[in-house]
Amino acid sequence: MRLVHYILLFACLLFSSCMEWEYGLEEDFDLSASGDGLFICNEGNFHYGNATLSYYDPTTKTVHNEIFYRANAMKLGDVCQSMIIRNGIGWVVVNNSHVVFAIDINTFKEVGRITNLTSPRYIHFLSDEKAYITQIWDNRIFIVNPKRYEITGYIDIPNMTSESGSTEQMVQYGDYVYVNCWSYQNRIIKIDTKTDTVVDELVVGIQPTSLVMDCNNKLWTVTDGGYEGSPYGHEAPSLYRIDAETFTIEKQFKFKFGDCPSEVQLNGTKDKLYWLNDDVWEMDVTADRVPVRPFLPYNGTLYYGLTVCPRSGDVYVADAIDYVQQGMVYRYSKNQELLDSFYVGIIPGAFCWK
Amino acid sequence: MKKLLLILYVAISPFMAWAQEEDTKDWATKGIHIRGISVYGNRPMKEIGTQQTKFDTVILKENIALSMADVLTFNSAIFVKNYGRATLSTVAFRGTSPSHTQVSWNGMKINSPMLGMTDFSMIPSYFIDDASLLHGTSSVNETGGGLGGAVRLSTKPANSRGFGLQYVQGIGSFKTFDEFLRLTYGNDHWQVSTRAVYSSSPNDYKYRNHDKKVNVYDEDMNIIDQYYPIERNRSGAYKDFHILQEVYYNTGRGDRLGLNAWYINSNRELAMLTVDHGNDTDFENRQREETFRSVLSWDHLRDEWKMGIKGGYIHTWMAYDYKRDLGNGIMAHMTRSRSRINTFYAQADGEYYLGKKWLFTANISLHQHIVVSEDKNIIRQDGNKAIVGYRKGRPELSGSLSAKWRPIERFGVSMVVREEMFGREWTPIIPALFLDGVISKKGNVVAKASLSRNFRFPTLNDLYFLPGGNPDLRKENGWTYDAGVSFAIGKEGIYSLTGSASWFESFIKDWIIWLPTPKGFFSPDNIKDVHAYGVELKGNLDVAIAKEWQLGVNGTFSWTPSINVGEPRTPADKSVGKQLPYTPELSSSVTGRLSWRRWTFLYKWCYYSERYTMSSNDISLTGKLPPYFMSNISLEKVLSFKWADLSLKGTINNLFNEEYLSVLSRPMPGINFEIFVGITPKW
Repeated sequence: MRLVHYILLFACLLFSSCMEWEYGLEEDFDLSASGDGLFICNEGNFHYGNATLSYYDPTTKTVHNEIFYRANAMKLGDVCQSMIIRNGIGWVVVNNSHVVFAIDINTFKEVGRITNLTSPRYIHFLSDEKAYITQIWDNRIFIVNPKRYEITGYIDIPNMTSESGSTEQMVQYGDYVYVNCWSYQNRIIKIDTKTDTVVDELVVGIQPTSLVMDCNNKLWTVTDGGYEGSPYGHEAPSLYRIDAETFTIEKQFKFKFGDCPSEVQLNGTKDKLYWLNDDVWEMDVTADRVPVRPFLPYNGTLYYGLTVCPRSGDVYVADAIDYVQQGMVYRYSKNQELLDSFYVGIIPGAFCWK
Repeated sequence: MKKLLLILYVAISPFMAWAQEEDTKDWATKGIHIRGISVYGNRPMKEIGTQQTKFDTVILKENIALSMADVLTFNSAIFVKNYGRATLSTVAFRGTSPSHTQVSWNGMKINSPMLGMTDFSMIPSYFIDDASLLHGTSSVNETGGGLGGAVRLSTKPANSRGFGLQYVQGIGSFKTFDEFLRLTYGNDHWQVSTRAVYSSSPNDYKYRNHDKKVNVYDEDMNIIDQYYPIERNRSGAYKDFHILQEVYYNTGRGDRLGLNAWYINSNRELAMLTVDHGNDTDFENRQREETFRSVLSWDHLRDEWKMGIKGGYIHTWMAYDYKRDLGNGIMAHMTRSRSRINTFYAQADGEYYLGKKWLFTANISLHQHIVVSEDKNIIRQDGNKAIVGYRKGRPELSGSLSAKWRPIERFGVSMVVREEMFGREWTPIIPALFLDGVISKKGNVVAKASLSRNFRFPTLNDLYFLPGGNPDLRKENGWTYDAGVSFAIGKEGIYSLTGSASWFESFIKDWIIWLPTPKGFFSPDNIKDVHAYGVELKGNLDVAIAKEWQLGVNGTFSWTPSINVGEPRTPADKSVGKQLPYTPELSSSVTGRLSWRRWTFLYKWCYYSERYTMSSNDISLTGKLPPYFMSNISLEKVLSFKWADLSLKGTINNLFNEEYLSVLSRPMPGINFEIFVGITPKW
């Protein structure tokens, strides 16, 4: 039997192993000296947990990728959806990780997190101690206390089930917060922040994808029109101008059937509107019709994300390429001159200015 | 290392003690089974030029708890992508995708007509008596659409006399229970077998989560500490039940009738990602499946010809539920997906030998799929409810003719032509040419080569899934060839050594890939052109090293670059000329089996090289899947009494207790154990 022992021992030693699931190393960042800064939310691939956060300094034209992982030695999560900054804290919404991280915007270190969310999309602050978080696949908007990182309540959305639940971007006008309802929805809802209840709704086209408010207190949303075969309907998408005070549609700009506009954004002075529709488009908020020519014509790039620098007016547009490699962000001046381009993470979808 | 050896010793020491006790017995008089060693010299006409990997019953029945995914992982060099224990496992040949692998069970295709792929974790190896891999071109002999290859699975009559019973109980780590029962009856004409498998486990293995940290806050909610938590695999429980009924009737005059019916009832949770910060009690993520597969067959054999007719039916009901606790104990549906697939199958095939030099074969099969897919319940604009989904039917017709010619014993050539029709669309003629020749009789050195064209139609989901299905997709198409040599040497009863090496190359155009769209859903398109090539090596050694000692070693190795050769999608695209993501370039497996009397020790090892997670092959901190090594061992003892045979087996999986991921964010279990006790009464 000694032979068996030896053979077993030999078998144990025969193959070593090297498939380490590595731990990260925490890096120290301090980017407080630089005034400007752009955070890029890279969604990553759904169910692979490879979302990342990138940071770009427009002054030095330097980019830092995977900053959340490098600063915290842990992953950001699955599908980084959006980010906003309030009082030096960045709030990063990670959709399929059911979490919103709070990070220091200079060191990128985590300072806290809100968990137990259904499928968070966007966060909007009402005060230091109260914020709303919209969800998909839930017919509620979560009310949270960001100071305590806890959920304090819910706003039930009428005529919406969990399965078809979808609330998205939020803008505030006075005591009211307006929210576009996107997936299998067609409306903008109006929430009274004093009572945390939905007090009104406005039907627009099928699937309004984004929402902003210009310098004249006009809300802008763009619909994607649904898709072919959808039981909810399929129509030509439209851009809508809505008066925030009266909560009525002032103007509808129709696109061609089959177009796919998205990512409505404003410049720093909120008097110019930008959106994606294969090309990048720019329009004065007082214009009566959509321009004939795009701001940046389609050049083989699959535009996925868009932002405008509130200070310089530079336009940043993200190319997701094939969605399984580092995306590219192109930076253009107001005069459509290419100023810089840099690789970020997988599927750059949202931006946040420091 | 000392700790590991201690664990190993504790695990096997009862068997050692038993072994020493048995040493005193006279085994010689009781007879010792040494597996027959034969030299593989003959080359069946049907297999002229084909590249096949066959799995014998020793491999297939090695462990009751293994799925075919586990068997293929440790005994072949094809890539098994495993999303975790008892979760989706797919198989891909030669750098292709899982949907390029065609899978048949008793002749009937079992690839999902919706997804195109097959979940091998749902196929218990104990239900399979005969399995073989048909690499690349060789799959055209069996079916179309196998751009990577085909996996052929089948059952066989047990050849029992009278009543037989076998029961095996397995108990393992993570409260895993595996039970197997087989009842057989046989006489000169009838062979009846009933097999049942039930596997269950909470599957809540512990692991240290390197992907996230737990925060410790002070009273003012400042983080004062962080640590990597030791977590359990959350929401990973499973309960799988399989029952297989077989009835064979052999007239004894060249006719055989067979009935195979296989029912599956599976209830599996889908484990949470490592980066999920949700509470597992607040979410339910569950997949249920009921599948019934049946094949009725008639084979008519004569000296020079044979024909067979088969009819079959598959019914699959699948449910996926993603629910969320609303805080009041009510679980609200976030997603409620249902699909029903009915497939009717008919096949006829014939073979005719013209002398000893010619063999002609013909085959035609029809699979008629009827699919109902319901993915989401919504409220329409008019306030009424509606379901997002599709209902489609599609006939899939495939026919082939072949002529195989062996003018002299040392040389054979085979020509196959196949044509397929899916829906109303036909493929062009699919030709395949196979050659083989004996280079040297000494050593049985045989050279083989083959060349074929092939096509794969889009799946029903590719075409019709809502949202995103693309009815304008073209079928994927490709050319592939391979060439190689094999040898077989040995001495009857002493040793046998076989080996083969082959080179392959394939070009696939219009590869279908699902990508996100600006509208928030995924949609497929004919995106990529791929050039895959490489080398496959196989070797097998069986040797009687001493009286009552037998050693068997089986090894495989593959080098399979699979390169994107399409046009750049955008000017910034870095993926052209790069290895496809999640496709390892190198893979290998080794199985060592040492038998002494009625003891068998098994060592299994497999390896996959680093899998890129980006098409650009960039390696990031958050997207790293380092090379993957895995070692499992087992020790089995068979005790023979007058009234029954008893088998005792202990297995150790993940021997080196590695913390590892097979797929990003999917942790795998550390070292784990299972013990099996089996009984086969002697009536």
